[in-house]
Amino acid sequence: MLKLQNVSKQFDRKVVLDDINVEIKAGEIVSLLGPSGSGKTTLLNIILGLTQLDHGKIIFNDMDMSHVSMKNRGFNIVFQDYALFPHLSAYENIVYGLRNKKGLVSEKELQEYIEFLELKPHLTKKIGELSGGQKQRVALARTLVMKPKILLLDEPLSALDGVIKESIKQRIQSIAREYKLTMIIVTHDPEEALTLSDKILIINQGNISQFGTPQEIINQPKNDFVEEFILKQLQIKRQNIYNLFGEQHA
Amino acid sequence: MPKAKTEMRIIFLSILIVFAVFLLFPLGTLFVRSFETNQGLGISNYLSILSHKDLIEAFGNSIKVSSITAVITTILAFALAYAVNCTRIYRPIKTVIKTGILIPMLLPTITYGFAIMYSFGNQGLLTKIFGQSLFDIYGLNGLLIGYVIYTLPAAFLLINNSFKYIDKKFIIVSKLMGDGSLRSFMNTIVRPLWATLGGAFVLSFILSFTDFGIPASVGGTYAVVATQLYQVMLGSIPDFNQGAVIAILMLLPAVFGVLLLNYLEKLNFHYDKFSAIELMQHKGRDISFGIISSAIIVAMLSVFAIMFIAPFLASYPYDITFTFKHVMDIFQSSDLVNVYKNSVIVAALTAVLGTLVAYGSAILNARTPLRGKSTIDSISMITNTVPGMVLGLSYLLLFNGSSLKGTFIIIILCNIVHFFTTPYLMAKNSLSKMNPSWETTGELLGDSWLKTIYRVILPNSASTVIEMISYYFINSMVTVSGIIFLVTAQTSLVATEIKQLQHFAKFNEIFVLSLLIFFTNLLIKILCDYFQKRQSINHS
Ligand SMILES: Nc1ncnc2c1ncn2[C@@H]1O[C@H](COP(=O)(O)OP(=O)(O)OP(=O)(O)O)[C@@H](O)[C@H]1O
Ligand SMILES: [Mg+2]
Repeated sequence: MLKLQNVSKQFDRKVVLDDINVEIKAGEIVSLLGPSGSGKTTLLNIILGLTQLDHGKIIFNDMDMSHVSMKNRGFNIVFQDYALFPHLSAYENIVYGLRNKKGLVSEKELQEYIEFLELKPHLTKKIGELSGGQKQRVALARTLVMKPKILLLDEPLSALDGVIKESIKQRIQSIAREYKLTMIIVTHDPEEALTLSDKILIINQGNISQFGTPQEIINQPKNDFVEEFILKQLQIKRQNIYNLFGEQHA
Repeated sequence: MPKAKTEMRIIFLSILIVFAVFLLFPLGTLFVRSFETNQGLGISNYLSILSHKDLIEAFGNSIKVSSITAVITTILAFALAYAVNCTRIYRPIKTVIKTGILIPMLLPTITYGFAIMYSFGNQGLLTKIFGQSLFDIYGLNGLLIGYVIYTLPAAFLLINNSFKYIDKKFIIVSKLMGDGSLRSFMNTIVRPLWATLGGAFVLSFILSFTDFGIPASVGGTYAVVATQLYQVMLGSIPDFNQGAVIAILMLLPAVFGVLLLNYLEKLNFHYDKFSAIELMQHKGRDISFGIISSAIIVAMLSVFAIMFIAPFLASYPYDITFTFKHVMDIFQSSDLVNVYKNSVIVAALTAVLGTLVAYGSAILNARTPLRGKSTIDSISMITNTVPGMVLGLSYLLLFNGSSLKGTFIIIILCNIVHFFTTPYLMAKNSLSKMNPSWETTGELLGDSWLKTIYRVILPNSASTVIEMISYYFINSMVTVSGIIFLVTAQTSLVATEIKQLQHFAKFNEIFVLSLLIFFTNLLIKILCDYFQKRQSINHS
């Protein structure tokens, strides 16, 4: 279980996160949803250990992680642009970290990860030869073999186009189930957040607007912001789709 | 970007110390010495220069000959770049232009002088071919030819690069709008290149103003600042304080020039992305520029032709039977072989250590959050400004009494500092284009910072590193002005040995040594180009 207690962050006296309190259960997929500049990436980086927090605590399984270095926290991240190493093949990227942690993953487990992400046919390819979705899966594999305690994903779908988006979404959900992995996913797309995750943390101007399941957010929006910006968007989208297909397809 | 780490701070500190000790202190010493007199500090050294007629004349000469050089070079470089970029001349000719223009860069400037003498002198190759002496080469004419050859490659590279940023569609638009040839040319080529042409002028001026090799060989009695400085420092009655004043006065135009270059750089047009487009047919344009550009290259290379011929003849121009005698003599003279070995060792160490310093500096500036890291940019501005002779002289002043005097170490350090700017900017440019999350990713995958540098950053900039090594190596092989004050009998290098051989009129030796430098550099260049190409194939 991951607990954020009174987490606050300022950049040059500008408050970016203001007293954030959240509890995330093991194995949950949680989306961080909010408009541009609301502090999503900052919160993700604070959990990761890349950004130092000003106040508050990060507690993981009853251990205070606030002052544990990024490397020792044991969390991991897939960046929005994947940050794959272009001079290495897909396979070499996947096993990059295993050189540093010998024996972490057996050869059999490694093959299972590769098979699970359907990367077998692409292992010898250079990064430049992979499509966006394939890169995404290589980056996921490279991170998963490190057996992170929590997996963070920064806008994992924003660089992908329509069809692949849906398939990666399912993949992310099946990873969470298969490996019982806690995942925290940054997004600014309400539809993505509500269809992908168990819980959604809506942030606005550094504050929590609402934290709850998709049903709770749809049925009991806590304030104007959730209603105006999150639900309104979804309703417009729904209307557009109705207009395209006709009401009877709903 | 990764967090600031102890390793980063240690490297940063080491680099700052190197530049403090080998750039700032020496220049500070130079500055102080220029004001030092028997009666304490004062401006009397400067005042005495004013009454020194030879020096004033030398300054006038330097400014005059450098300005004329700059005009000629800018025009020729422009013509070549235009031929390469805006005409439809036969492709192989373009390749020959682009490659041939770089040849002078593989030779020390002092060699140019001797090549000019043997080409245009009374017994010169070209004089023989034309049947009469074309003009007096000692003095202004010889200097002009030498300086133009010396500055043409740099000016060409500058202008050629800017041509890439000109949208050639404008030429077509302008034609469609009914512009005449001249107006179209002015509006679509000259106007957007204006700042670059100014830059080429300033660059050629500074290079000529501060070069020592060319006036040392063909200057004759035509005094310029560089030769005056040499005489004051290493002549029969050395005067270090007066030398310091001349060095400062040599530095001033360079400072002014670099400021001007930076200003012009800002004025440069930068078009947005554009697609390549077919150039219009124009026979007259292609034929005339084909002839002009070939003539420039042929003229330039013909000056060097003698260098490849004379050493293989028994006694040029009297006995022109073919022989390997001179070449064998050199290889049997242990002195000259040693000098060559020294040069290669110095160049190799400069290349390795210099690349290390420049690459390290670039990493710190481009890929770490260290506070104060932008001081490295200021350092690279200074190293870009200080002429080699001024730097070498300031080392002489500061380290004269120290144990560094007369060592290879001081020569290598001088080269590293002197040529720092270009390799540093190469590295910075390439490193800042790389994904900023690689270090964080490496750390999350269990690497230390240095390990990620070694496993990820370095392999992805291998091509740039090779280019940096090649740059440092070739420049330290050919530099004369940077080290003329630092070499001793024990640490003699090929480029400076040539200066000594001049006294004994041993021209065959001079040419054979020049050929050695040339082929060594050529080999390094070809090797580096090969590895670079292989790298880029691997990565695409
Ligand atoms: N290193 C930094 N220094 C100063 N300000 C920063 C820094 N990083 C982020 N900020 C500021 O903090 C605020 C929140 O940024 P953050 O990147 O967390 O937003 P975000 O929710 O991820 O937005 P987006 O959807 O655009 O990615 C922004 O106003 C940003 O300008
Ligand atoms: Mg963000």
